[in-house]
Amino acid sequence: MIYLDNAATTRPNENAVRRAGIFLTERYFNPSALYGGGFAVNGELAAGKKFLLSRIADPIDYDITITSCGTEADNHALFCCGKRGNIVTTEGEHAAVFACAQELKNRGIEVRFARLKEDGSVDEEHLLSLIDEKTSLVSVIHVNNETGAINRIAELSKRVKAKNPRAVFHSDGVQAYGKIPVKLNKEIDLYAVSAHKIGGLKGTGALIRKKSLPLAPYIFGGGQENGKRSGTENVFGIMTFYYAAEEKFARLKEEQKEVERLREEVWGALDRTLFTRLSPQDGTPYILTVSAEGLRGEVLQRMLYDNGLAVGTGSACSSKHRYSRVMTACGYGERVLDGVLRLSFSPQNTREEGLRAAKILNETANKLKEKTAD
Amino acid sequence: MEKIVIIRYAEIHLKGKNRGYFERVFSVNLERALRGLRHELRRTSGRYLVEAFDEEELDEICGRVSRVFGVHSYSVGYKVASEMEAIFQAVKSVAPAEGTFKVETHRADKKFPLTSMQLNAQIGGKLLAEFGGLKVDVHTPAAYVYLDVRENGTTLVFGAFLKGSGGMPVGTSGKGMLLISGGIDSPVAGYYMAKRGMTVECLHFHSYPYTNEQAKEKVVELSRILSRYSGVGVLRTVSVTRIQEAIHEKCAADLMITLLRRFMYRIAERIAKQNGCQCLITGESLGQVASQTIEGISSSNAVVTLPVLRPLIGFDKEEIIARSQAMGAYETSVLPFEDCCTVFLPEFPAIKPKPSYILEEEAKLDVEGLINEALATLEKITL
Repeated sequence: MIYLDNAATTRPNENAVRRAGIFLTERYFNPSALYGGGFAVNGELAAGKKFLLSRIADPIDYDITITSCGTEADNHALFCCGKRGNIVTTEGEHAAVFACAQELKNRGIEVRFARLKEDGSVDEEHLLSLIDEKTSLVSVIHVNNETGAINRIAELSKRVKAKNPRAVFHSDGVQAYGKIPVKLNKEIDLYAVSAHKIGGLKGTGALIRKKSLPLAPYIFGGGQENGKRSGTENVFGIMTFYYAAEEKFARLKEEQKEVERLREEVWGALDRTLFTRLSPQDGTPYILTVSAEGLRGEVLQRMLYDNGLAVGTGSACSSKHRYSRVMTACGYGERVLDGVLRLSFSPQNTREEGLRAAKILNETANKLKEKTAD
Repeated sequence: MEKIVIIRYAEIHLKGKNRGYFERVFSVNLERALRGLRHELRRTSGRYLVEAFDEEELDEICGRVSRVFGVHSYSVGYKVASEMEAIFQAVKSVAPAEGTFKVETHRADKKFPLTSMQLNAQIGGKLLAEFGGLKVDVHTPAAYVYLDVRENGTTLVFGAFLKGSGGMPVGTSGKGMLLISGGIDSPVAGYYMAKRGMTVECLHFHSYPYTNEQAKEKVVELSRILSRYSGVGVLRTVSVTRIQEAIHEKCAADLMITLLRRFMYRIAERIAKQNGCQCLITGESLGQVASQTIEGISSSNAVVTLPVLRPLIGFDKEEIIARSQAMGAYETSVLPFEDCCTVFLPEFPAIKPKPSYILEEEAKLDVEGLINEALATLEKITL
């Protein structure tokens, strides 16, 4: 099986899992326990969290709250900061933000959605035009999980703050963290990340916060995570996240280049009469979204899987609906939307795998085209 | 005080000389429904008693009993020693705290010191003395308290009659093959046939990879829900992918559904006959969709000799939905997984296809070859 659905989840880093194993078998103490064993585990967690934070932000100015997933981090940001006036977000958000925005709307908060450009990045001028003195929160996805387009959150956050310094700026960085270089500038208040996109485990995410931003807890209880997120820590998950991130960040730039080469080779080997490229050249190298125009992406996806290739269709979380909300917002017509496939890479994918995948894609799409042609 | 459940049956008393047979099937069905739970089931004068179960499983037992066809009503009650004080303690647990009531006694144990009438009066009097808000009404009481003084020195005490599913014991009216989709209607159709005593086996047609695994899982779940009533945990699946592709390739687009249904009926009939089913069952309701016109129904009927029973034929969608909700299938039925791929759906399906047109188009296909190819994909799932 060739696995090209790494934006959905990655294979856990075995080395990281092995290293963290001791926290399941021997050092299983509750980090809140006041005896030596618990205290020591708490120290390990603190070191891990500091590492996870310091790769993208200055720990003097920012802190990190571990959550159960990226979605929880986004929920925390939106529900604790989007409480008055209006909030501004984009039509390209992952459901983790989009559904929160819809819920805030139901609760009486005005929600404004900025348009997308064809590649899936936000129309910056439109976004800025939506911000006024009553805007309490701005949420912009960093890397669009369906097209791979990168939003320039550094510039955007500066321009947002220039218009309204009191607006909180949040970004969903789940597809960026550990994959492309990120350094949070001081205008970015909140940033959500996830472990299982970079070799960590499902069930671990984090919300990074600028310390000067007061943030209410979202889950209450025993006061873990500095009171911001109660609940006994997922020690094994956090430590696996830490060890996996260590490896990712050590080779981030090399891997970025390798994956970019792979992406272009796969694209080069795809039959252009069958596939149209939707991902921008300057997007994340980890995602190559294409459309097999006029074919059903979902059917193609199942046929591909049966032929040994796992790929995504748009966003795995929204595959219930016929057309992806985000891809529709990019302005594509039905024939393009029907055929959307997302190939997403990991540095572990070899060139040989990429070329074989392209061959399977060409053959399978061709076969489906013959069978379902009008 | 030991809790018990009393079960009364419906219609079986109509069965004259066959009554014994119906009762036997009914008790087998009750036993099957209660399988896996500690209990003792016994028949006593015209009804059944469930005893010796774990009290925390009472709700589970009642739920299962309520789904067995043939159950007219059931009551939760107590089994106590036939002594006045013990009987009254149990009566207090089943009696209402206010409103009108009536005590009714059946005394099989003629050695019990009080007659039925005396016992009614004494228990009624004690209740009135204990609860100020109660009143006796022997003609139209809001609540009953029943006492059953049995010969073995125990008395059964029970209150409210809870409604069962009614109908006939499954297994007393033959066996049918239900064509089940992932929609709302077909499980309800299966429910109604099971209610009249028919054993219902399920058959599902899928067209993987045009339909997905979740759609199939959904049908498995629906069949499981139906099996709580029908008692039969068998689902068969057949792929019609090749048939759809062949129709798409060779025949007029507006006949896709008409021709496909004719294939489904033919395949269903063969599998039905192999498994001793005496009819096909579908969830069709007249005029509901393009293929459920009388012309559409006739065109599928024409290819089979087994009777096709359509218990929902005169039902409105709302009525079907209400039953689907009541049987616990609706939530699953409306899960958003396509059980039929829109790739092959014609924009304008033929609503009243002429037989000659159908035959002409069908002649372009190797019908027997495609049926055999589909039958080769037959899978049997035990639920």
